[in-house]
Amino acid sequence: MAYTIQLIDLSKRYRLGQAPLSLKSLFSSHKYTQDNRYHWAVKDINFALNAGEALGIIGPNGAGKTTILKLLSKVTYPTRGKILLDGRFSALIELGAGFHPDLTGRENVFLNGAILGMRKAEIQKRFDEIVEFAGIDKYIDTPVKRYSSGMYARLGFAVAAHVDPEILLVDEVLAVGDMAFQRKCYDRMLDLIKKGATLIFISHNMRAIQKVCSRTIVLYRGQVAYDGSPAQAAAEYSNILRTAATDRNGEDEPIGHGIAERVMTREAVIEHVEMLHNDGQPGNTFISGETVTVRATLHITADIQAPVFACAIRMPDGQVAYDYTTHWADLKTPNFYANTRSQVAFKLDLNLATGTYQLGINLAYEDLSKYYDRSDRLMDFVVTSPSGAKGVADLNARFSVIENKLHETEIFS
Amino acid sequence: MHTSPIKTLFHHRDLLSAWTMRVIRARYQQSILGGLWAVLQPVATVTIFTTVFSLILKVDTGDIPYVVFSYTALVPWMLFSASITDMSESIVSNMNLVGKIFFPRDILVISVMMARLLDFFIAYALLIVLMVYFSIPIFMVTWLFLPVILLVQLALALGLGLILAALNAFYRDVKHVVILLLQVWLYVTPIIYPVNLVPERFQSIYFLNPMAGVVEGYRAIMLYGSIPDDRFLISASVALVVLLAGYWFFKRVEHRFADII
Repeated sequence: MAYTIQLIDLSKRYRLGQAPLSLKSLFSSHKYTQDNRYHWAVKDINFALNAGEALGIIGPNGAGKTTILKLLSKVTYPTRGKILLDGRFSALIELGAGFHPDLTGRENVFLNGAILGMRKAEIQKRFDEIVEFAGIDKYIDTPVKRYSSGMYARLGFAVAAHVDPEILLVDEVLAVGDMAFQRKCYDRMLDLIKKGATLIFISHNMRAIQKVCSRTIVLYRGQVAYDGSPAQAAAEYSNILRTAATDRNGEDEPIGHGIAERVMTREAVIEHVEMLHNDGQPGNTFISGETVTVRATLHITADIQAPVFACAIRMPDGQVAYDYTTHWADLKTPNFYANTRSQVAFKLDLNLATGTYQLGINLAYEDLSKYYDRSDRLMDFVVTSPSGAKGVADLNARFSVIENKLHETEIFS
Repeated sequence: MHTSPIKTLFHHRDLLSAWTMRVIRARYQQSILGGLWAVLQPVATVTIFTTVFSLILKVDTGDIPYVVFSYTALVPWMLFSASITDMSESIVSNMNLVGKIFFPRDILVISVMMARLLDFFIAYALLIVLMVYFSIPIFMVTWLFLPVILLVQLALALGLGLILAALNAFYRDVKHVVILLLQVWLYVTPIIYPVNLVPERFQSIYFLNPMAGVVEGYRAIMLYGSIPDDRFLISASVALVVLLAGYWFFKRVEHRFADII
């Protein structure tokens, strides 16, 4: 097998509300029906990891991070799709899971080790190492109920990290403990990766992920929103957090409607959007630095007061290249009246680097509580730059060389 | 999921023993009398029954004093009923763990039963003391049959325990049903009365209760120096069927436990 972990179309569905109260339903296992009383916690997740690879998974609450970890650790089973695992794994979903408060640290090490799949002899062999790592040798024969939460977590991590896993799954567990211990945990993870272990690290702390992972997946609403470098993922994640914050406004709406229906009142609708060259001709290919007018035609079905207009330009991976709102610009917009059509325009200096971009326009309530209409991708357009510069912004570099008397070359960019 | 339960259990034997120790330690931690409770409970129950059935309502138990007669059956019964109660709760009370870490879930069920075995041995040691006190002849040879009876009883209990543990995870009504069921079961088993009090024409149905054969088996080997009669075979076959059915059912639904918290 080429990969140590491979996820193929992995999907997990949970039932909303009460479990069915019939014995028959216990037996009808893998059949599933289309039903909006179900909720897909994760849907169609695909990724594969090689030995020695470290993957971070980040996403807002409820994005499906923990569900993936539970599926990977076989605590729960997928509704659809499959997971291929090759190697002994250890999952740190909760530090010290199975610790009994009345038992001593020593007894709990053996208990927890056994739960994590270690043989008694193996635990015996690593016992001193575990205790030393946790730094609690003085208290090892004290019942863990007298431990501080930090000591408890330290002992828990120490046991799990000494399972010598080929695949290590780590959930948000390092939030506890002091800085020194956290560093110890990261070092241990890096150490395991170096030894060829495959790591999946779940967190909503981007910095923690960047410390150990070479690759990051951004999860949003149960799906992979981004898969790539941690740096790019960070940008994408902040983007998603913003979206999540605005989506939250519609949360009391009945579940089962799409995101769009939940956040938009559609009292004003973006009917048509075009991008115009300087000469008024519509187009979708522009030269970097060109002045372009984005023109949107709105159909208004109710009286609306001073709406907020936003215009955003995104890169294909979702990263925002430019985001403008009349609210931030502190611009007063007029009122619009029912059964009218209006046109609004944003005049932009398209100082973008070569690439494909997505144009999005939002129409929000004056108090930003809801959207009238929004789309993050109304149209795609291409920017070409004669200089061939890469990146996001075209800063229009003008290169020159100034020779001085000593014939040293200085470059200004 | 598709490997045999025996193989996975063997693989996780260290966890089984560690978890059993945890259950035992946790039960007697912070308790003054500790393991003494294993004896006190059956002694108290037998005292009550003895008061009622040998002083107030005279029950004829032949040459064997009522105390010994009922104690011989009551201790195995208490093992049976306590382990079934514990087993039916074993998944629900460890949901926190079930929802977070993967390991064979039947370990939780088996280990609480194993933990009750310790109580059984402590309490049964007292039986010898009672027998010596009442000068009842001791037949050590037939004691060799004790493991067989015990195994049949455990198989029966485990089969039921697995079914009840799984059902209780889905429907909490099960817990209440179990208490009721065990109460009725105590009275349809010859524990506090001898079998010969059961009318002859009901005897064949009566022994369809697998615990009747088991309890009579204990009396045969401990008190009468004989080996269990044919009716014990009914118990053994029922126990085997129940165990297989229990495992089949448990394995069939265990993957859902984590989803129903």
